[in-house]
Amino acid sequence: MFRLLKTESFKLSNKLKSWLGPLLIMVLVLIAFPLSIDISQYDLEKFYFSIIVVSLLMTSFVATEGMFEEDFEDGSLEQEFLIEKDFYKLVLSKIIVYVCLIGIPIAFIGALFSFANGVAIGSFAKVFLLLILSNLLLFNLFAFGNALSINKGAMLGVLSSLPLALPVIILLGRAIRSIQFGDGFSSIIALMFGLGLILSAMMPLIISAALKTHID
Amino acid sequence: MTLVSAQNITYSINENKLFHNLSFGVNSGEGLHIKGGNGSGKSTLLRIILGITTPTKGLIKRCSEDLKISYLGHKNAIKNYLTPIENLELLFNDVEIKIAYEWLYKFNLSHVQDELAASLSFGQQKKLALIRVLAQSPELIVLDEPFVGLDQTAADQLNHFLEEQLSEGVGLIFTSHINPKISCKVLDLEAKNV
Repeated sequence: MFRLLKTESFKLSNKLKSWLGPLLIMVLVLIAFPLSIDISQYDLEKFYFSIIVVSLLMTSFVATEGMFEEDFEDGSLEQEFLIEKDFYKLVLSKIIVYVCLIGIPIAFIGALFSFANGVAIGSFAKVFLLLILSNLLLFNLFAFGNALSINKGAMLGVLSSLPLALPVIILLGRAIRSIQFGDGFSSIIALMFGLGLILSAMMPLIISAALKTHID
Repeated sequence: MTLVSAQNITYSINENKLFHNLSFGVNSGEGLHIKGGNGSGKSTLLRIILGITTPTKGLIKRCSEDLKISYLGHKNAIKNYLTPIENLELLFNDVEIKIAYEWLYKFNLSHVQDELAASLSFGQQKKLALIRVLAQSPELIVLDEPFVGLDQTAADQLNHFLEEQLSEGVGLIFTSHINPKISCKVLDLEAKNV
């Protein structure tokens, strides 16, 4: 597992486009969206979270697009299958590395922009935590979509898994309201954390089976 | 010791039998050359031996679940955005990487070790992929068309290295259109005999 974590983080950190692209998209949307609509500072404070939710969905979507495609194309998946006999550890490692190298910076950028747009400094940690957990859930779901259609263009699969992301968006909306009105935040975070753990344990099993079907 | 054996392997695609009731075994220090024309099922048979593809019928037995197998298929498993050294470091630990460096020198790739793999020629990429296979100190080597893309010198070198591996007790299964200079058994998929 440590070998895989080391390998995957080395690979991702050397693919500038894969990790920098989503971060730049996040920054671009967070800057461009408020500038492009005519709303007052007061309204912006209210609506800014919605912008973050949409950017988060978009960046997770882009970040996971090539998660397995390259390994499938160059034969690395077959090599990994010979070593590990399945893909559970590989998938888990990839999701962990993606969350650490892309998800956490995205969450930080999101929290920073929230603060810059009038959200109280006291809520910075809450927003940061919320965005990390959302990324964990979204990366799991989109990784599944990516694995489904790996030989037909990964974007198609990621698109097909988009409906699965809707409950995450609803939860995220609830959590944001709880930050704004200061009520029930911890229970929603606990729910998201639990869901994150379950998805992180189960999704690699399903994705592993999908990948095995593709290389068979 | 028999490293791997195939018993009555049959593989069908859409009810067309690619091969039927194939049985063979490979011992330590023994080579098996799988021959056959295009589409005769050479690569599929290799993938069945490796457990990547499931046969329609039959059984593949290995001497141990932990049998260390190195495989090179049609895809090189080389990351183009990394250098040859970095590609090897992905796979090997600090001790094994020293063996991999020696292989880089033997295959005459030392002078390009710090260039991106994308800038290497097809033959050089193939050599790098072969180094991945040979430096793993495997018990069984499985190669799909290993001579494709190699010049005569490199092909002779590979023949020599594979002979060396055989003499050290490593098992070898490979497909090739050309007749290699390696003393080994031949499985002809068109004649269906060993």
